[in-house]
Amino acid sequence: MNGVKLTQLGIKDSRDLLNKKEISATELTNAYIQNIEESSKLNAFIETTFDKALTQASKADKIIGTDSQKSLCGIPLGIKDLFCCKNVKTQAASDILENFIPPYESTVTQKLWSEQAIMLGKLNMDEFAMGSSNETSTYGPVINPWKSTSSDDSLTPGGSSGGSSAAVAANLCTGATGTDTGGSIRQPASFTGTVGLKPTYGRCSRWGIIAFASSFDQAGPITKNVTDSAIMLKAMSGFDPLDSTSAKIDVPDYEQELGKDIKGLRVGLAKEYSLQNGDSEATKKLEESIKILKNMGAEIVEVSLPHTEFALPTYYVLAPAEASSNLARYDGVRYGHRAKLDTNDSILELYEKTRSEGFGTEVKRRILIGTYVLSSGYYDAYYKRAQKVRSLIKNDFDEVFKKVDIILTPTTPTSAFPLGSKGTQDPVEMYMNDIFTVPANLAGLPALSLPVGLDELGLPLGVQLIGNNWQEPLLLNTAFNLENTLAFENNPKKWWA
Amino acid sequence: MEIDTETVLKIARLSRIRINEGESADIQKDLNRIVEFVKKLGEINIDGIDEFNFGKTNIEDMRKDSVTIYDNTDDILKNTKNKNQDFFTVPKIVE
Repeated sequence: MNGVKLTQLGIKDSRDLLNKKEISATELTNAYIQNIEESSKLNAFIETTFDKALTQASKADKIIGTDSQKSLCGIPLGIKDLFCCKNVKTQAASDILENFIPPYESTVTQKLWSEQAIMLGKLNMDEFAMGSSNETSTYGPVINPWKSTSSDDSLTPGGSSGGSSAAVAANLCTGATGTDTGGSIRQPASFTGTVGLKPTYGRCSRWGIIAFASSFDQAGPITKNVTDSAIMLKAMSGFDPLDSTSAKIDVPDYEQELGKDIKGLRVGLAKEYSLQNGDSEATKKLEESIKILKNMGAEIVEVSLPHTEFALPTYYVLAPAEASSNLARYDGVRYGHRAKLDTNDSILELYEKTRSEGFGTEVKRRILIGTYVLSSGYYDAYYKRAQKVRSLIKNDFDEVFKKVDIILTPTTPTSAFPLGSKGTQDPVEMYMNDIFTVPANLAGLPALSLPVGLDELGLPLGVQLIGNNWQEPLLLNTAFNLENTLAFENNPKKWWA
Repeated sequence: MEIDTETVLKIARLSRIRINEGESADIQKDLNRIVEFVKKLGEINIDGIDEFNFGKTNIEDMRKDSVTIYDNTDDILKNTKNKNQDFFTVPKIVE
């Protein structure tokens, strides 16, 4: 293996070695199991399914090299706890789903298993995917494998898919599923030096993914590199009759699209997405990416998305409104937590006590604000108005995509921050983290975060590529070209084992 | 402040979330902070703008309205201790 550990390889390289029979799926799975067992300090995995993994691996070893072999045969993956997996405890990192065992499998995970991938277990996340730092999880926060060169503070791996991003960065799985409602795949990817892709709304089925804000939620992969993202996205995508918003559009072979020339590609730079500190390493890395694209023959075009400043306020009306409706189902009657009741308590007390005990502070806050903006007398001023502003934000993108093929922005305003350092006094401070990622969710557009290097503190930085609807092939190919030149290595110092 | 104590209790009741006296002030403060933040939407002219939708290209045909038999009631009931035969039990609703 020339000094490279098996678990550093990722999806494509593992697949190639499996195909050449240089390694077995069982050997690969055992290597990941060992890494996971040594990683309790990271708090990334909250439920492991090692017996299932080894059974799947043994099956894969019999299939590899035969006609029955599928695209992910023998590839060990981690699954965000938002995906229902049949007979595997699934709680969306919430107490209200205490010991919930789904009697069915989500479409996306079923697709992965149908492609013969191996399930290592469930990954930690913010409660119901509401958070940007992983600190709202009932299991406690995930710790970022990366540390600053100037302090020993535990850093956030981002959120809400922080377990997924940390697990991929720390070599606990070849790749992981995430979901992205306002940046929950891209921001954690940016904070951990991994590749995170939020597909076009409708690309992946939402069936069996515990709902947060249904008109925003999309599943996508978090991986070590762009090729792995392409491979995993193909397996996750496709029409599903069980999700009426999933699209009847063919799924391309994304991997085949990689490596194409990007000469003549029109890349937009939006002035509304600028970083505050012009001298920072983050700005330099962004400029370096622009230079690389220019050298490859891309045309750089200044563009404007004038309603960007309204994106976060729009999101924080609409997403909580949808959440308040989606989370109404947690009533203590059929599954999950049920409050202990006093003798004379009615069904109203059952609902109120259960929900009060089961939901965490941030989730309650969002249900309450969502209920408020939907309530009589306030609906027009908040919800209806925000739906109209959402149209204006989408129109901005429609106009820009007449002039450019792709938009390049920073993924986040900063690199990973210390746990406990944001949003403790003011919830809006945490919301500001999603400033560059939320617009793509409002418009339903695909967007990818690619690691571009390290900042002054030695922490990973990401750039975001936003494409028009169904332009995942273009996003992936542009990212692939950038990745080859940047040659970023994701190798955080292994302090946790 | 737009959201007063009474409004907090009203939306908590609508949300079926019980709020203790001790947490009410903090919740009120946080909700007002969020409302203050989203009030920015009031600065924008929305005359003649339609509400957002994904349009016809994204939303596909509905599936056929046909019956599918779902027969794993047992698996579903495994998720609760509060059951009687094939039913969930709740506090008495009707006297």
